[in-house]
Amino acid sequence: MSESFAFLSDMVDYGPQILNGLINTLLLAGTISVTGLFAGILIFRLTLSENRFIRKSTASYISFFIGTPLIVLLFLMYYGLPQWGIKLSPFAIAAIGFTLNIAAYNSRYLSAAYNGIDQQQLMAASAQGFSSRQIFSLIILPQTLRRAIPGLTNQVALNIKDSSIAFLIQYVDFFAQMQEQASLNFQYLKVYAVTGAIYLLLVSLVIFGSKRLETRYAIPH
Amino acid sequence: MTLLQVRNLTKNYDGIGILNGVNFSLHEGEIKVVMGPSGCGKTTLLRCLNRLVEPSSGEIIFDDKDITAADVDIRQVRQRIGFVFQNFALYRHLSALENVKLGLRKLRGLSDAEATQRAIYELSHVEMQDHQDKYPAHLSGGQQQRVAIARALAMDPAVLFFDEPTSALDPLMAREIANLLNRLHAEKVTILCVTHDVTLAKNLPGDVLFLNHGHVEAEAPISELMQNHASENVRAFFEEKAPNA
Ligand SMILES: Nc1ncnc2c1ncn2[C@@H]1O[C@H](COP(=O)(O)OP(=O)(O)O)[C@@H](O)[C@H]1O
Ligand SMILES: [Mg+2]
Repeated sequence: MSESFAFLSDMVDYGPQILNGLINTLLLAGTISVTGLFAGILIFRLTLSENRFIRKSTASYISFFIGTPLIVLLFLMYYGLPQWGIKLSPFAIAAIGFTLNIAAYNSRYLSAAYNGIDQQQLMAASAQGFSSRQIFSLIILPQTLRRAIPGLTNQVALNIKDSSIAFLIQYVDFFAQMQEQASLNFQYLKVYAVTGAIYLLLVSLVIFGSKRLETRYAIPH
Repeated sequence: MTLLQVRNLTKNYDGIGILNGVNFSLHEGEIKVVMGPSGCGKTTLLRCLNRLVEPSSGEIIFDDKDITAADVDIRQVRQRIGFVFQNFALYRHLSALENVKLGLRKLRGLSDAEATQRAIYELSHVEMQDHQDKYPAHLSGGQQQRVAIARALAMDPAVLFFDEPTSALDPLMAREIANLLNRLHAEKVTILCVTHDVTLAKNLPGDVLFLNHGHVEAEAPISELMQNHASENVRAFFEEKAPNA
């Protein structure tokens, strides 16, 4: 009983730092979810290019980032770039690294959604006189985004969880703060259980939001 | 006046001739039917005419201009050719009204209010005003086709192309589309209609262009084609399609 009380009081004492960590986690996850979405759309657009070289390069980009562990890229930038005199903050490195990585995954979700759309309507749009840019923004993107909601929001959930590896490049996020907490009071079990529960809560919120979006924006079929 | 004149049009796929020198013309206000056995190149011909498929050679004179020329703004030409696809090809994420409005807004630059007004007018014209807020998935084939026609007509096209307008419809609907085409014809809409449906062709005025192996084998009213025509291919086609007709 008193032990639980001590744990709680530790958490309260340490509250401001934990809250700060939580804010940093949400800041990073929020940033990379937005930049990763836009970059993913860009990569997806390039996969549809009429230029063969652009299509090939884009395919290589996607294979590279899906095939390489993100932590390698983060370490490369964190430890490698300073050797060239480029020093970026942990947040900047994490934001760049995650964005490059997430863009590859998001473009995959969009491509899969694209493969499912009725191609004849794209020809109809050409026949009507729309430019390829208009066809992309008026037909392809609205439909692929809506069809890809499950994948894209799943990626947001992953972003929240995966952003915790940024602590390895000294980004002080929620996980880093909780780890600090555990190392101070040795209550590993409780601290990590609480940590897990809070990630679970955040992810559940995203999944809840995802279901709402899916219902709201489903293309009637 | 001649609206469209096609001269020696050819299309090869991997060296195989699909269209082998097609010649015909279409006058303003005319309705012309293109028939021929499956795989003879009807769809390819229609798609070559607005360069959805790039012709291999030949001339397509539309409004006195060769639209195969390099300096032609093909998007401008396409905006003047209404194309109704075999499976209607409505934009799946847009309601019937929005399908008709999209071109008016983004190609014609109409305001939202103007586009809505015009789109409602076009939908009423094909008796679809009561379904304007439905999505393609919630419309029957015949209804989707009417929306596709309204979408094409809203752009004030010089000509309407139809690719197999009855192939995705049940017989009752097929009869209705014949009526609708006749009504449009009476309103002086120029129509080029590809079909292998003899019943539809019989219910349309105007000549039939009989396409076989990528060239025009005959061009005559359907009644002539169906009466012991000189060409064996024409005879074979109609005997198979309508043995008792
Ligand atoms: N993209 C293509 N590549 C190769 N062959 C094609 C292509 N499109 C059509 N064809 C061939 O051209 C021929 C004519 O096709 P199509 O114009 O669709 O005929 P129809 O509409 O009269 O049935 C067919 O033999 C078809 O296989
Ligand atoms: Mg065809």
